[in-house]
Amino acid sequence: MRSNLALLSFAALAAPPAFGALGPEKMRGLLEEIDESQRNSGDYKALVYLEQREKDKTDVVRELLVYRRDEDDKLMLLFTKPKSESGKGYLRIDKNLWSYDPNVGKWERTTERERIGGTNSRRADFDESRLADEYDPSFASEGKLGNFEAVELKLTAKPNVDVAYPVVHLWVDKASHNVLKRQEFALSGKLLRTAYYPRWQKLFSPSKGTEVWVPQEIRIYDEVEKPNSTLVLIKSVDLNALGANLFTKAWLESKSR
Amino acid sequence: MISAFVVLVRIALRNLFASAINLVIGAIILFGTALVVVGGALLDSVDRAMSSSVIGSVAGHLQVYSAASRDELALYGDFGGEADLSPIQDFPKVKRALLSIEGVRKVVPMGINAALVASGNTVDLVLAELRELSNRKAKKETGLEGELEAQKQHVRQIIRVLRGDLEKSLAVMDKSAIEPEDLAALEQVSKDEFWAGFDRDPFGALEFLENRVAPQVSDADLLYLRYVGTDLGEFLRSFDRIRIVDGGPVPDGKRGFLFAKFFYEEGLKLKTARRLDKIHEALAQSGKKIAGDPVLERYVRENQSQTRDIVLQLGPEKTRLAIERLQRALLSKEQELSALLSSLFATDDSNFQERYRIFYEQVAPLLSLYRVRVGDTLTIKAFTRSGNVRSVNVKVYGTFAMEGLDKSPLAAAANLMDLMTFRDLYGFPSAETAEEISAMKAAAGAKEVDRSRAEEELFGGALVTQGSPVAIEESAVLGVRPRSRAEQLEDRVYTAEEIESGVVLNAAVLLDDAGRVPGVLRRIEELSGRERLGLKAVSWQKASGILGQMATAMKAALFFSAGIVFVIAMVIINNAMMMATLQRTQTIGTLRAIGAQRPFVLSMVLVETLVLGFLFGGGGALLGSLVMLLLGARGIPAFDDATYFFFSGPRLFPTLEVAQIAFALGIVTLVSIVSTLIPAVVATRVSPVVAMQAEE
Repeated sequence: MRSNLALLSFAALAAPPAFGALGPEKMRGLLEEIDESQRNSGDYKALVYLEQREKDKTDVVRELLVYRRDEDDKLMLLFTKPKSESGKGYLRIDKNLWSYDPNVGKWERTTERERIGGTNSRRADFDESRLADEYDPSFASEGKLGNFEAVELKLTAKPNVDVAYPVVHLWVDKASHNVLKRQEFALSGKLLRTAYYPRWQKLFSPSKGTEVWVPQEIRIYDEVEKPNSTLVLIKSVDLNALGANLFTKAWLESKSR
Repeated sequence: MISAFVVLVRIALRNLFASAINLVIGAIILFGTALVVVGGALLDSVDRAMSSSVIGSVAGHLQVYSAASRDELALYGDFGGEADLSPIQDFPKVKRALLSIEGVRKVVPMGINAALVASGNTVDLVLAELRELSNRKAKKETGLEGELEAQKQHVRQIIRVLRGDLEKSLAVMDKSAIEPEDLAALEQVSKDEFWAGFDRDPFGALEFLENRVAPQVSDADLLYLRYVGTDLGEFLRSFDRIRIVDGGPVPDGKRGFLFAKFFYEEGLKLKTARRLDKIHEALAQSGKKIAGDPVLERYVRENQSQTRDIVLQLGPEKTRLAIERLQRALLSKEQELSALLSSLFATDDSNFQERYRIFYEQVAPLLSLYRVRVGDTLTIKAFTRSGNVRSVNVKVYGTFAMEGLDKSPLAAAANLMDLMTFRDLYGFPSAETAEEISAMKAAAGAKEVDRSRAEEELFGGALVTQGSPVAIEESAVLGVRPRSRAEQLEDRVYTAEEIESGVVLNAAVLLDDAGRVPGVLRRIEELSGRERLGLKAVSWQKASGILGQMATAMKAALFFSAGIVFVIAMVIINNAMMMATLQRTQTIGTLRAIGAQRPFVLSMVLVETLVLGFLFGGGGALLGSLVMLLLGARGIPAFDDATYFFFSGPRLFPTLEVAQIAFALGIVTLVSIVSTLIPAVVATRVSPVVAMQAEE
């Protein structure tokens, strides 16, 4: 069903200028395609560089490992550098997002709005794309974004789904169907963040048997505190299977002992 | 000359009691003087009390901070945020320089910041303790079986309560409103098999409980914690309004935390107990009644309906004990703790005191009344100045109150911590970390993008590249974390030099005499310019921000009120004296007709006024002094939180000084003379013939 919808949406996208006429089902199909192209049916591990710039403050710079098991929606972030941050981490199990600090040996239950490592990034920036599960789409506009022809969708959070941003505008490249730009709004309609996805990488996934799309660079601009920005660079990706007991508090604790 | 004066005094004394109008005027002078004495003394006493509350609590007479700071110092916060201050460069040098100024007694280093402290829900807290015990057992620590078993039983008791709640919900709600996963999770952990397997895989079982059961309880708290980092020993010795309420002071040179008692009660106490305390205070101190008071009635309703915090805190044994005790105290056969608690909290004006006693004698000893207890370790997570997130553990030694400010939500929200812990939470990255970060940035090689042209710059080239996965070895990328210093830090004793050498954001300057404030302010500015200390000095009123403005505004309001009373008194005296003098126009005409010279007539009227002023003004001053003596001995009770602040405590004991009596007497006499002389001069200018015919 999902692949049928994806095909349908591809056909719709490939036949301009019909975006404005796309119905809700076809929009959902497009979101499913975006999710599916980034989903690896096996495990995922990535080495990520994170940099936060704020006015009148020294830059916050981190390196971290992102672990994902998309099959059962698990996510873990383990900070590796600088040394003072090494061993800190986040663990998402079911609807719980935990943060851990080895300096105090405590776990803390946090929310979707948690600023990861004190930067303007959120859990969802590192996690599997779940746009179709979390949002209802509608057509907004179409036009050029730099050199690329893009379609803009307006996404509204589904009832009872906990997301960091209840309204999102998404610009999708018409040719590759990759996300180019994402603007996130509060319920009041106030623009909070603008994120750009200027580089994507195609990787062959043995577990999926096909290619997986991974954003290599995400640039997030704070729209409330205008001078602030966050850079996420995905330096390398490992698609080998991870250990069975990896996504546990005990495993993350063990990394700082 | 003297004989003339004696004659005039005799005439004045004779006239004084000969005329009823003089007695009326005398009574007015007496009342007016008493009013000025009492009003002036009260005004001075309130001003002194209010000022000493703020000066003696945290502000000192003056505050100094770096002139390079972006914001102005705001000791009690700046509309919910904290002022952005630059650190004082070389605090030991600044301290030496300030102490060299005449009149400066002490210089106390400080820094103010705030953090949001998240505490998990009740189940999270219980499970965290179980995890801690399981970790210790996994490290082969022995003798933990009893504690582990008790904690497991506590969790099982919580699960029974949650299941009971869910079953009740199922009976009244649509089943679709309840998540099937929640129900399934509760059923699984209710089974004996789950607990029989706990010891085999404690961490697996804990993960299940933490992720599937704990989220079903939603009583987590998020506390806004404001703290003043300081040299705690020096602080407690310097500020006379601070007193330790619970626990004890942090030993000199050690790391530690002291909660402000008001904050501790409002933010960390079990909500039910806090509501009971508030009702108790309202009935006992303010003479209120529950019936008809919407706030107190709401407290009673909330206590009856919100018993879960208590029920979830108790393990099976304590639950049994609580049921037994409440059944006995309430003469009830009810078997369910939550229903018994509801009955206990069904209070009205007739039974409140008894129920309050039962709660504190029978139930409270089984409970943890505070989320963080004295002796516990508090974890504080804050954003450092450089934007990093930093967490520290710090031991709570006790609670303190600032006399006079202990009921002010603004002032009493500030807690105290040692300066070393403050620096850990506030600090910049070390030189080593800064170097490491520099290397990381260079290795990342990210290109600079102009935000205003981001779309053109970012979307001008290829969007997609073909890559291949690589094997990432944790050991190769995981930095070696410096060994945790937490355990050593708690016991370490820092020297005064260590405490003072480091980041200090502001410092309180205490003087020998509050009257020296303007002079010392000028001297500090001169010294700072001469020795390039880069300091800005402000008075306590300015440093205290809203609180200082409140004190100044209140002082102005008090002066205004006293001024009105004073003016009214003076106008009455003036009118009475003028009327009395004008009534004597005929007498003055007669005196002038029989040869009395104008100066003699004026002197006669003036002496009469002086005698009147001294006699009745003196009486008024005596009366005012007696009133002040009485008030000074008994005290004036504060009737609400605002007067509590103005009185610097629950009662104001006003004092009276000789200068205030002299001032009252002097001003009353002066007004009387002015009020008499003008009509007298007018009267002497009237022709004697006309004056003598005035009443014909």
